[in-house]
Amino acid sequence: MKSPLGGVALFHLGPVPISAGVVTTWAIMAALVIGGILITRRLSLVPSRAQAGFELIVDTLDSQIRATMQMEPAPYRAFIGTLFVFIFVANWSALIPGVEPPTARLETDAALAFLVFLAVIWFGIRAGGIAGYLATFASPNLIMIPLNFVESLTRTFSLFVRLFGNVMSGVFVIGIVLSLAGLLVPIPLMALDLLTGAVQAYIFAVLAMVFIAGAIRETQSGPDPSSRGTPL
Amino acid sequence: MMIDWWTLGIQTVNVVILIWLLGHFFWRPVAAMIEQRRAETQQILTEAEAKRGQAAAALAGIEQTRAGFAREREAILAAARQAAEETRTERLDEAAREAASLEAAAKVAIEKQKDAAEKAWAERASRLAVEIAKRLAARLDGSAVQAAFLEWLLEEIQALPDPVRLTVAANGVELEAICATPIEPANQARYRELIGKAFGARPEITFKVDPTLIAGLELHGPHLVVSNSWRADLSKILAELTHDKRSWRDGGRVA
Repeated sequence: MKSPLGGVALFHLGPVPISAGVVTTWAIMAALVIGGILITRRLSLVPSRAQAGFELIVDTLDSQIRATMQMEPAPYRAFIGTLFVFIFVANWSALIPGVEPPTARLETDAALAFLVFLAVIWFGIRAGGIAGYLATFASPNLIMIPLNFVESLTRTFSLFVRLFGNVMSGVFVIGIVLSLAGLLVPIPLMALDLLTGAVQAYIFAVLAMVFIAGAIRETQSGPDPSSRGTPL
Repeated sequence: MMIDWWTLGIQTVNVVILIWLLGHFFWRPVAAMIEQRRAETQQILTEAEAKRGQAAAALAGIEQTRAGFAREREAILAAARQAAEETRTERLDEAAREAASLEAAAKVAIEKQKDAAEKAWAERASRLAVEIAKRLAARLDGSAVQAAFLEWLLEEIQALPDPVRLTVAANGVELEAICATPIEPANQARYRELIGKAFGARPEITFKVDPTLIAGLELHGPHLVVSNSWRADLSKILAELTHDKRSWRDGGRVA
């Protein structure tokens, strides 16, 4: 029996296997980019209802960044916002029959977590330089260097495992129930899966903000005991 | 469970590209629009605040101007009332003066008319009285009246001062004796003698008849007129009655 966690390549581009998750990701990317272009093509000072809705989303995101990171949102808006939107849309793509969410695949979640890991390093170095950022690993003393390094890896690991586990479990449960019960029985579970997907997108984005803000704050003002440790 | 590293790499690149694309085509334009609207709103609010300040200042200015209008209106009304009062007083004074002038003129005119009427009535009464006296005196003409007038003539001559009497009736001076009725020649000689005796000389006397004398005997010479007749007396009376000095002078006895 084939593992449901295993990926299936739809086709190959040379040596590169292209899975269904990658194709779905491309579709989501195309939809988001085209939608963004269409939305921003006719922006005006007197907004339409659609423009007002999207401006509300951006404004809410900025508010969340300010509240969570205690910083101006402009440098982090595109990264955090895109993570949230992509994960949200990917999770909810399960509503389309025959489509498996890309976030139900380990590679996609690992890629997202890896980007958060790189973003923490990038923003930390940008805030305090390479030495300043590396110095945060020796906080509060040199003995903590291995632990801090392991922590940065494990929190990244926990980040993608959390997302993968929640989304994949939802897909599995719905698939199992759908195979056992009828057509209408999985609907409440699908609604629950939508809620889980939205919450997981929010959690992933908030954790990314917390990790980045922690790195920046430690770099700029020294070690902060309250920010150490891995959330959740 | 195995991780497909190719897929991991592709998805990493995909998300990076997506982050860049959405940042370029969605997040930045929308955020810029929000910021632009916020700036526009702030600018509008600033301008509105400035305009509100200007409006408040303008309102204060209008209130001040209106207060000035009220004060100016009161001042104009007070000046108009004072001017009207002065004009009314002036008109009243002028009317009073004009009325007093008209009253005085009317009084003078009435007095003149009254005097003229009294004078006219007095003249008419005098003329009537003289006419009545003429008619009554005409009935008295006779020798007795003639003798009386001769006697009065002689008294008048004798009453003259001597130098005057000798000058006006020297010898040979021609005198006219005028009577209302013809005098008999015999009486004429006697009259010449009596008159010459009264003058103390012998003037040349000729007799003439003038019925308008009514009655009497007058003596006219180059430097002498003795008015001794009813006509002269009545003229004198009429002059005295009408206060006509000219008439009185005409009726005088010595010219």
